[in-house]
Amino acid sequence: MLKKDDLIIFGFVIILIAASFIGVSLYKSSGANTNKIAVIIKDNEEIKRIDIDAVSEPMEIAVSGDYSNIILVEKGRIRFKDAGCPDRVCVNTGWLTEKGDMAVCLPNRTMIKIEGQSDNVDIVTY
Amino acid sequence: MNLLNDAAGKEYVSLGEDTLYVLDKAKQYSEISKGAFDVTIGPLVKSWGVFTDNPKVPSKTEIDDLLNLVNYKDINIDFENSKAMLAKQGQIVDLGGIAKGFAADEAVEIYKKHGVKSAMISLGGNILTLGAKPDGRPWNVGIRNPRGKDSSYIGIVSVKDKAVVSSGDYERFFKKDGVRYHHILDPKTGYPANTGLIGTTIISDYSIDADALSTTVFVLGLEEGMKLIESLEGVEAVFITEDKEIYVTDGLKDTFVFRDESKEFEYVEKR
Repeated sequence: MLKKDDLIIFGFVIILIAASFIGVSLYKSSGANTNKIAVIIKDNEEIKRIDIDAVSEPMEIAVSGDYSNIILVEKGRIRFKDAGCPDRVCVNTGWLTEKGDMAVCLPNRTMIKIEGQSDNVDIVTY
Repeated sequence: MNLLNDAAGKEYVSLGEDTLYVLDKAKQYSEISKGAFDVTIGPLVKSWGVFTDNPKVPSKTEIDDLLNLVNYKDINIDFENSKAMLAKQGQIVDLGGIAKGFAADEAVEIYKKHGVKSAMISLGGNILTLGAKPDGRPWNVGIRNPRGKDSSYIGIVSVKDKAVVSSGDYERFFKKDGVRYHHILDPKTGYPANTGLIGTTIISDYSIDADALSTTVFVLGLEEGMKLIESLEGVEAVFITEDKEIYVTDGLKDTFVFRDESKEFEYVEKR
């Protein structure tokens, strides 16, 4: 036999479950709608940040240093096009198209990665 | 722990396995740091009222008196009988600089026991990660800007299966007669540590180690602290000085991302 208090608890739990489903679906769709942001990092410092979904014409970015890098940006994608480094691992990585994709030129200490807009950190330590 | 403190200078008291472990760890870090970290700081913490609503600046004589009670060598541990004792009456062990770290490690053990592969725990800013993120990428942990808002950061470390713990003068402080006093007391002077650092962050496998070491290097200062961390295997650190310069250990140089939206800090890569 259910008492009134039990019903209140049941109701509360159902609302809680519904709320968390709504929360999760909202969170997912918000992630999908944000533009892809490519970040170019040289010597651990961010030198350029590009919204690659908003790029209309292809463009090239030159990065100097011990070795040179040419980075090519097109709508929705970015890559190392050319590099003066000996191993050319960065060029061979090819196109970056998804959030979390990353290409690194260790000899020139250059890195490209794609991140979401508010995807920089998962948490802050204090 | 209260039992141990109450029986200080009188007798050995029986302690649980966990308490003994934490106490022993605390003593080890006191030794490694030659007393820059010292859990027998209790009498001074109490006198300053650091964690109360009414903190105060104790008199110089009071501080000097209480400093006589601060000595980790007075922690006697009898492992065989699971007992411990403090040598002098009035001595107080304060595990505030290490207990949170231990708790996070314990929490992760529970997760592991239940087959959890990916998790992140934050115990009041002490971060502990289990595995990578569900998508396989490392966790990006921001390092708090000591002079900025709660969510602002000065850089990012990417970690898997690591603890990231920070200490800083911004966590807890009070102002008296225009002077800012923070909560990390130097066991040598009895006053808030004043070594030119405003924030330290440790990255290590276990949270208990990161917790103790973040306080330790904060008290040691940049040069000594850097030396200590570089001498320990599998431990990395980020130092932020009052001149708003950021230094990292060698092992972090390739992965630390300097990102300071306040544009007030400077990343010093060569030292």
